[in-house]
Amino acid sequence: MKRFFPLLILILLISLLVFPAYSQAKRYKIYVVSHGGPADPFWGVVMKGMKDAAAKFGVTAYYLGPEKFSIKEFIDLLESAIAKKPDGIVVTITNPVALDEPLRRAIKMGIPVIAINVPDDRPPEKAIPYLCYVGMDEYLAGVYAARRMLQEFTPKRAVIAIHEPGHAGLEARAKGISDVLGEKKIPVEKLDIGTDPTKALTTLKAYLQKYPDTDAIFTLGPLGAHPAIQLVEEEKLVGKVKIGAIDLTTRITDAIKRGVVVFTIDQQQYLQGYLPILFLKLYLDYGLIPQEKVLTGPFVVDKNNVNKVEETVKKGYR
Amino acid sequence: MMEVKSIGSFKELSKIFKIKEMGAIIGFVVIFIVFSILSPEFISWGNLLSTFTMAAELGIVAIGITMLMISGEFDLSVGSTFAVVPMVLALSINNKINPFLGFIFGIFLGAFIGYLNGIVTLKTEIPSFITTLGSMMFLRGILLAITGGFPIMLQEDIPFLKYFGGVCIGGLRYSGIWFIILAIIFAFILERTKFGNWTFATGGNLLASKALGINTNKVKLINFIICSFMAGLAGITTFARFKIIDPTLGQGMELEAIASAVIGGTFLSGGYGSIIGTFLGAFMIGMVRSGLVLAGAPAYWYRAFIGIVLIIAAIINTKIRKKTAG
Repeated sequence: MKRFFPLLILILLISLLVFPAYSQAKRYKIYVVSHGGPADPFWGVVMKGMKDAAAKFGVTAYYLGPEKFSIKEFIDLLESAIAKKPDGIVVTITNPVALDEPLRRAIKMGIPVIAINVPDDRPPEKAIPYLCYVGMDEYLAGVYAARRMLQEFTPKRAVIAIHEPGHAGLEARAKGISDVLGEKKIPVEKLDIGTDPTKALTTLKAYLQKYPDTDAIFTLGPLGAHPAIQLVEEEKLVGKVKIGAIDLTTRITDAIKRGVVVFTIDQQQYLQGYLPILFLKLYLDYGLIPQEKVLTGPFVVDKNNVNKVEETVKKGYR
Repeated sequence: MMEVKSIGSFKELSKIFKIKEMGAIIGFVVIFIVFSILSPEFISWGNLLSTFTMAAELGIVAIGITMLMISGEFDLSVGSTFAVVPMVLALSINNKINPFLGFIFGIFLGAFIGYLNGIVTLKTEIPSFITTLGSMMFLRGILLAITGGFPIMLQEDIPFLKYFGGVCIGGLRYSGIWFIILAIIFAFILERTKFGNWTFATGGNLLASKALGINTNKVKLINFIICSFMAGLAGITTFARFKIIDPTLGQGMELEAIASAVIGGTFLSGGYGSIIGTFLGAFMIGMVRSGLVLAGAPAYWYRAFIGIVLIIAAIINTKIRKKTAG
């Protein structure tokens, strides 16, 4: 027992040295609550952005997200974040109706809120009055994809491979593509390919058989891009049928280098973790805040920048 | 006199309808004819073979599930097994383990998943629907945890994989050949061996089978193993072709495999079914899919059509069975 007390005092002294935060001025506490679990590679990048910004600007930031997609669990996490009365909340507006009440309550309590990744897409007078949105515009992603393809060439006919019909984000991307191509009077159609690679490939192949003049395939995610790349290579259609993709995977960047895929669209989600922390710090210190939307994407990846992009993917920035 | 004659001709007719696969055959022929009329490209070799490839992947899974369903059990975990087995193979190859060893290990793992599903179901006497629902989530979770949600890409070319996913002749792929071979083997096992008989008996009337001295638990356990083994093998054929495993690979496959079996005449309640029927059922689902694209149908209607085909096929099967039974 005699030895115990000096040891305890020593431990207390060391902990005071190691955690100076507790003895110094108060650090801002910010919660990032998203619908994506920390095991999801996409959200891993967002988390890295958040941590980097928190370290740089002397803020304490916590990431909360359900392991498996669940609106209920997501709302529970948000509620627990609000209960801690933090200095700021960063949140994905995955379901505006379900999030409406808790977020309005948080804003009333004086907690500044920034939306990331998914905005409240309801009309402004009905939308949750958060400070600003940091993320990609899904519709614009489709528009950029179609424009980039038009820069490459003017397709005779295009098909949009959608692997999850009814998914709001994917449908918005598809609409962006068909709106731009529609203006140019290029026939364009959505094709439900499903999430199974063999089925997706066969469905696309059947479509090409039915409409042999199809020379552009747009895919809305890796589950569309991977089978499309396989099809074009297996059927030796490289150069004849061009693929435009959305989202980043090594298979897609590889295919860009080999010329099978013309481009892909990235939403630079690192910024969706980094910028809100910076913005909240500026807001809390000086009341400065960007208005409405800060777009982190669509960012076009093609032959010109694919090497640099690949490097930063490996480092966890994309 | 007239009465006797009509009974005679009815017997002749019912003999033809006694073929278990009659419903599937009728459905198959009708769908084939309808799409051939709607689109000339439908009956091209290119399309039929690529449709067959699509059917093969689903069909191999469905053969296993048919065996298990006939013996009176379910397996919802086939979609996850379909992804986990090739994942093991891919990780072995990427970590410089002998690919053949990785293959053996993967196949064994597939069989082992079936063994676990079976043991848990039979020892604890909970419905296999629940056991395999649990293992479906568990295995998918393992897959997500190990891959971190990233797709796994095969980093080198492995020659022997050609015999699973590569092209055999023309547009015919090895997966299609596996499908045919496995269908013949299991049709033979089911219809011509003691084990096949036991499988029917176990699913048809469990208590009577036990009374007859059939080790029903052993029969079920073997069918659990067959089912997972086949799901794993089918997963390898897909992986061998695409050389990539997306973390969602195989999701929703369990229901489509069950649908193939049911369209082919297998009962959800067990005790009745056919491998040839399942073979046709899987092909039918493939035909509807590619057929609708080739017919230029609006894309968002496929799922609806497959749903309708499923219900009509089930109705035809039930009607025919009642006729033959009555």
